[in-house]
Amino acid sequence: MSAAEANGGRMERLFWGAGSAVVVIYALLPVAWIVSLSLKRSADLGDNRFLPDVVSLEHYATVFRDPQFSAALLNSVGIAAISTLAAVLLGAFTAYAIVRLEFPGRRLILAGALAIAMFPPISIVGPLFNTWRTLGLYDTWAGLVLPYMTFTLPLAIWTLAAFFREIPWDLDKAARVDGATALQAFLHVIAPLAAPGVFSAAILVFMFAWNDFLFAASLTSTDHARTVPAAIAFFTGSSRFEQPTGSVAAASVVVTVPVIIVVLLFQRRIVAGLTAGAVKG
Amino acid sequence: MSDIELRNLSKRFDGTTAVKRASFSIHDGEFFILVGPSGCGKSTLLNMIVGLEDASEGEILVDGERVNDLDPRDRNMAMVFQSYAIYPHMTVRENMAFPLKLARLPKQQIDSRVARAAGILELGDLLDRKPAALSGGQRQRVAMGRAIVREPRVFLLDEPLSNLDAKLRVQMRTEIARLQRRLGTTTIYVTHDQTEAMTLGDRVAVLRRGEVLQIGTPRQLYEQPANLFVAGFIGSPAMNFLPARYNAGRLELPIGSLELGPDLRAAVAAGEGPLVAGFRPDHLRAVGDRAQADLCFAARAEVVEWLGADVFAYFDVTLEGFEAMALPEDLELETGRQGCSSLVARIHPGAGLKEGDTFDLGLDAGQVQVFEALSGRNLSLSGGLHQA
Repeated sequence: MSAAEANGGRMERLFWGAGSAVVVIYALLPVAWIVSLSLKRSADLGDNRFLPDVVSLEHYATVFRDPQFSAALLNSVGIAAISTLAAVLLGAFTAYAIVRLEFPGRRLILAGALAIAMFPPISIVGPLFNTWRTLGLYDTWAGLVLPYMTFTLPLAIWTLAAFFREIPWDLDKAARVDGATALQAFLHVIAPLAAPGVFSAAILVFMFAWNDFLFAASLTSTDHARTVPAAIAFFTGSSRFEQPTGSVAAASVVVTVPVIIVVLLFQRRIVAGLTAGAVKG
Repeated sequence: MSDIELRNLSKRFDGTTAVKRASFSIHDGEFFILVGPSGCGKSTLLNMIVGLEDASEGEILVDGERVNDLDPRDRNMAMVFQSYAIYPHMTVRENMAFPLKLARLPKQQIDSRVARAAGILELGDLLDRKPAALSGGQRQRVAMGRAIVREPRVFLLDEPLSNLDAKLRVQMRTEIARLQRRLGTTTIYVTHDQTEAMTLGDRVAVLRRGEVLQIGTPRQLYEQPANLFVAGFIGSPAMNFLPARYNAGRLELPIGSLELGPDLRAAVAAGEGPLVAGFRPDHLRAVGDRAQADLCFAARAEVVEWLGADVFAYFDVTLEGFEAMALPEDLELETGRQGCSSLVARIHPGAGLKEGDTFDLGLDAGQVQVFEALSGRNLSLSGGLHQA
């Protein structure tokens, strides 16, 4: 290797390293700022310091003492979990059919699904509000699960279809020749290989439902179905002269951490590339 | 172990016919090869036999029993796929045990059968590895192992060696042959490689565009090809072809003319349309004296391939007064440039031939086969020239 090439390689590494660092810092700075705020004492909130002077857990205590927040947390977990399950299940069926079966309108379904994903949610919030009130779905879990599921189904279908396409169908045939029924072939061979795809789709759907503010704020009015992002917006300070900044920050950290943990946990399963080694290569 | 009989088996995919009325039988314990260029329907035929595709028409009988409507799982056949199709989320052991588990064999029996198959295929040390950690050749063995643990009635192999590099391919070819002799299981093997077909098969079926052109032992296919396609497809280097004319008992070629025997005369005279003469590279002899062969001609070696035991000399023949032949395109033969035909001769390495040398070649009338250029029919067979 010549000196110029070695130099070029070093420059390239430097370029990518610096680029990655910029992106990571850009993305994580607000998160760090919120964590820092949540750990400051109320009196220090406006002290213009990046790191808290004195670490205090008083805002966390306040948040968890508030019964509204606990109710919202329960709503968030329940609604996001049900939406995820429903969207991934329906998405898996649809994607499997689209990839495996030849039927008229396959492309139409994919394109239609994409069109739904393009639809601006804000445009349907108003009509939905009136419809839900008439149907009695206003301020219920179902009232949020339905729009979440609808808006994430396209995402689930596209993600899962991409994963299913990668599975070599010779495996399915091999299992059938090996003596498996169609169902056994699916359960023993196809499903384990599709698992990473199901996990990635589930995480994407879960994050959408977990983070949504628009529907949660518009279609709920009480603790009955209000999720955390909406509940945070209704936080009040302890007096009319105090901003609830600390509590908002603490609540944000509380709802962000589980998502980060879940993603990190499943990341390895997603990236593992289970199909490696199935066929030549 | 089983006899397989196909009766008028056809497969149509909307509009196109992949397999046309295939009728033949495969004997118990036989190593049977389906060979042909890509798209000839050989894999479709195999898939119909194993049950992965439905036959549009015709019957498949195993030991006299119709299996058309049986699910693949009930046909008790094992298949090795071109892509190996081993399960990536299972270890080698689990892969091989999978068909036995589905058959609900007792665990002890599963273990002993897997151990035996692993022993035969030398996979003993790899049993707990995942496929991703195996080389191509090892994956191929796992696929074979999964097929043999079941002790099936029939083995079906779909181009099992085409993903291996050349050296490994030859090695595995020998191993598959040995394994088949040892187990004595009826085996159907699909390949596009005529060398594999010739070396492995007890009998070989040559397919082209969904039709079975000829079935025979490798020797029959080599010595008595039924038509131009089989003649050009079987053998490496391929058979030499030259345009030919029949004239008063003699066969006229661009390199000279040959006196035909009385039987062949009648057959060739009855042939329709333009004729093509074919002869194997090993039937061209380097001759010192022109009286040694029925036809002698001088050639200039354009390319000389030295392979140790053999030397292949490539040379051009000008087609003065002859029209260029149209050989089947799917043979993918190099037929030479405008006005020329490219031929090859196998020469003894002792001759010390070099590129650019001019040398004398001899050809005997008994070695030449005459084909109808349009139908491809081998006229020499009906003429009784090549009786085995």
